[in-house]
Amino acid sequence: MPKPLPKYLQFVLQTMAYAAFATVLGVFSVWPSYQQRGVNEAILKLSFSHSGQLKFACRQRDAAELAKTAVHMRNKMDCPRERSQVLVELDMDGQALFRISTAPLGLNRDGAATVYRRLAIPAGPHLFSARLADGPDGVIHFSSDHKVDLKPGQVLIIDFLTGSNGFVFTGG
Amino acid sequence: MSPINASLGSRTFLAIEKKFNLIFNDRLNPFYHLGAIAYFLFWLVVATGLYLYAFFETSVLGAYASVETITHGHFYVGGVIRSLHRYASDALVLVVLLHMLRHFSFGRFRGFRWLSWLTGLLILWLTYASGINGYMLPWDRLSQFVVTASTEWIDVLPVIGGSMTRNFISNANVSDRLFSLLSFIHIGLPLSMLALLWVHTQRVPHAQTLPPRPIMWGAFYSLSLLSLLLPAVSQAPADMSSLTQTLAFDWFYLPSYALIGQWGPVNTWLVVGGLTLLMALLPWMPQRFEDQAAAWQLSALPDERIILVRAGETLLDAGLREGLPMPYECRNGSCGLCKCSLLHGQVQLQAYQPSALSEEERLSGQTLLCCAQAFSDIDISYVPAVGTNAVPAKQYLARVSQLELLCEDVMRVDLRLSNDGSLPFHCGQYLNIILEDGSHRSFSFATAPHAGGDIQLHVRLVAGGRWTPSVFSTMKVGDTLRIEGPKGAFRLRADGDKPMIFVAGATGFAPIKSMLEHAFHIGLNRRMLLYWGVRHLSDLYLGNLALEWARDHANFTFVPVLSEPRAQDYWGGRTGLVHEAILMDFPSLSEHQIYACGSAQMVEAAYPAFIRHGIHSEDCFSDAFYFSPLKVALAHEVDPGKLGGILA
Repeated sequence: MPKPLPKYLQFVLQTMAYAAFATVLGVFSVWPSYQQRGVNEAILKLSFSHSGQLKFACRQRDAAELAKTAVHMRNKMDCPRERSQVLVELDMDGQALFRISTAPLGLNRDGAATVYRRLAIPAGPHLFSARLADGPDGVIHFSSDHKVDLKPGQVLIIDFLTGSNGFVFTGG
Repeated sequence: MSPINASLGSRTFLAIEKKFNLIFNDRLNPFYHLGAIAYFLFWLVVATGLYLYAFFETSVLGAYASVETITHGHFYVGGVIRSLHRYASDALVLVVLLHMLRHFSFGRFRGFRWLSWLTGLLILWLTYASGINGYMLPWDRLSQFVVTASTEWIDVLPVIGGSMTRNFISNANVSDRLFSLLSFIHIGLPLSMLALLWVHTQRVPHAQTLPPRPIMWGAFYSLSLLSLLLPAVSQAPADMSSLTQTLAFDWFYLPSYALIGQWGPVNTWLVVGGLTLLMALLPWMPQRFEDQAAAWQLSALPDERIILVRAGETLLDAGLREGLPMPYECRNGSCGLCKCSLLHGQVQLQAYQPSALSEEERLSGQTLLCCAQAFSDIDISYVPAVGTNAVPAKQYLARVSQLELLCEDVMRVDLRLSNDGSLPFHCGQYLNIILEDGSHRSFSFATAPHAGGDIQLHVRLVAGGRWTPSVFSTMKVGDTLRIEGPKGAFRLRADGDKPMIFVAGATGFAPIKSMLEHAFHIGLNRRMLLYWGVRHLSDLYLGNLALEWARDHANFTFVPVLSEPRAQDYWGGRTGLVHEAILMDFPSLSEHQIYACGSAQMVEAAYPAFIRHGIHSEDCFSDAFYFSPLKVALAHEVDPGKLGGILA
């Protein structure tokens, strides 16, 4: 059995132990700092949630087909719910940044297609060109160019809003 | 002797704890109270959180401002409470991690502990989730980072696919309702933690949920001082239109977020998810053969109780679970208060401080209840904790269901518990019949535990006795008796391979019958011999049953011995004292086990003779008292009335 320390020494050492405990907490709760972007970088966020066009056109059911259907379900028109994939392309200063093809959400693929990308880019003036195809034919229906001079740390959000008739470039 | 099982991790902890024992002494060593300290910190976080919640505004514009007001506008109180909330939360992570690491190092996560381990793991993640969620509320730059990183991390999961981040994509997207939701989560998560803590702690008998007061004050003072010297403050207000280059970062809660920045969200999910899965599966991972424990029976003196020790459970945990008044303090192999004598069987010791159990003590058969795990059926003797009482045996009301005179002075009494209850027992144990004046008479169970149904007792008439004459005169079927049990530490040791000699004197046959029927039932194929000693032939009241066993089981031999055969007995078998017959048949008993049940005189006469014939003291078992010198010393504590019910 080791010889016990004198009471006063125990008290001093206990105080030091608790102080060390507190110091560890105090230090590592704020330090070292975390660098979330480079010194001269801005942030680009491409984010939208958009429902593509219906993948298949509606068609009329013929009489034989309707006869096979339950009486209460005899809808003359057959409109499949599945929507088209949404293709988005984004260039910066003529260089391709993203080319993303996104499937609609949902078990029946009838929901919106959602895209989110975050990218650190050099601060300064840039020309962005965004294009989007949302039909079954994959043809680009929406395109937009936007010039912006980004400061370090500035966030540029590129959204797509059908109501605004296409791409929206905002500052967050 | 108890072998020691010490991993590198446990040895490391022991080395650190040894230093802390010098500083704190083993009673106040924080390493022995990590779980309880975590509880204390949890309550500290909850209490300070309630204050903050009372003044916190759950709105985009109000959140930052209200936290600033709490921090700087409530004199010192708000700032200190906010800082305490923050630092106690950080300390909680640290302590929970240490607690888990310690249990992992000592291998205390297998077997029955799986539930505690899994709930502990869930509590750890809930702690992280609560803390990370808490960092979203002040709505400063760190909140901005945390919500963005969190939603981005969640968004890479299937189905969600990018829709969650859009809630925080710009200042315009962040709504007051989102803040209400975040605040609600910050209450819901700790409540879930509390529910899990309850489950987590249920598995630990006599679990400590608060540390000793000096530790509480030490933790409280140190956190308070830290709060005064380095108050927790907000960073600049959140602004989704820009991103600061650096952030003051809480490395206790946010290390996985740093990983997301380095490795990306998918890889971080793989690492965190894989690590979690690995930790969750740990209790079922294969282990070294010699570490594999199983469930065993523990006979405890002075309680005379037989309890089950679960696989991986320490003897202390098993005893406390069953209400035995075992002494303990540190529960970590340091104070030595739980030292006990190992009388029979094998245990393995987890790592402990040498000051708690010297090498000489260990070699002499002493062990530590808090560190010992059973590796066979075991017998121990310990000194009960001062001021504690053992949980009394359970009492039942029983109705006499059958009375059968087995011979001139032995009555079979069958008892059926009221309300179709059951009384679980081990073969060899006994029960007390409680008389009207509170005194009791003890009788062994005469059937094997697996038989179920009525309890069978063999009651021998004692002339002039207070109770047994009534069994033979006035007792009738339907009478009600008050009984308590099971009691006794006399039991069959099914482990080992030595031939077993059963010695029964008169109605000492009852517990032997229970043991043999149990042995036949479990298919024990060891050699078994029954020497039943009585005075006259008619006293072999179930002799035909024993002969039947001998016919049915090749490994069983029945040797009746009459001490006073009468002429009408026409006895041509063995005569004399029963133990002398054994000595005659076995000049050396060194490779045998003996189970004796009979009068104290019979046992007292037989023990030294058996010892002279080479039997090992740890191979002698008796209902009267133990044969070993240590156990003989306890003889005066034993009520001989329980010896198969031979005394009234």
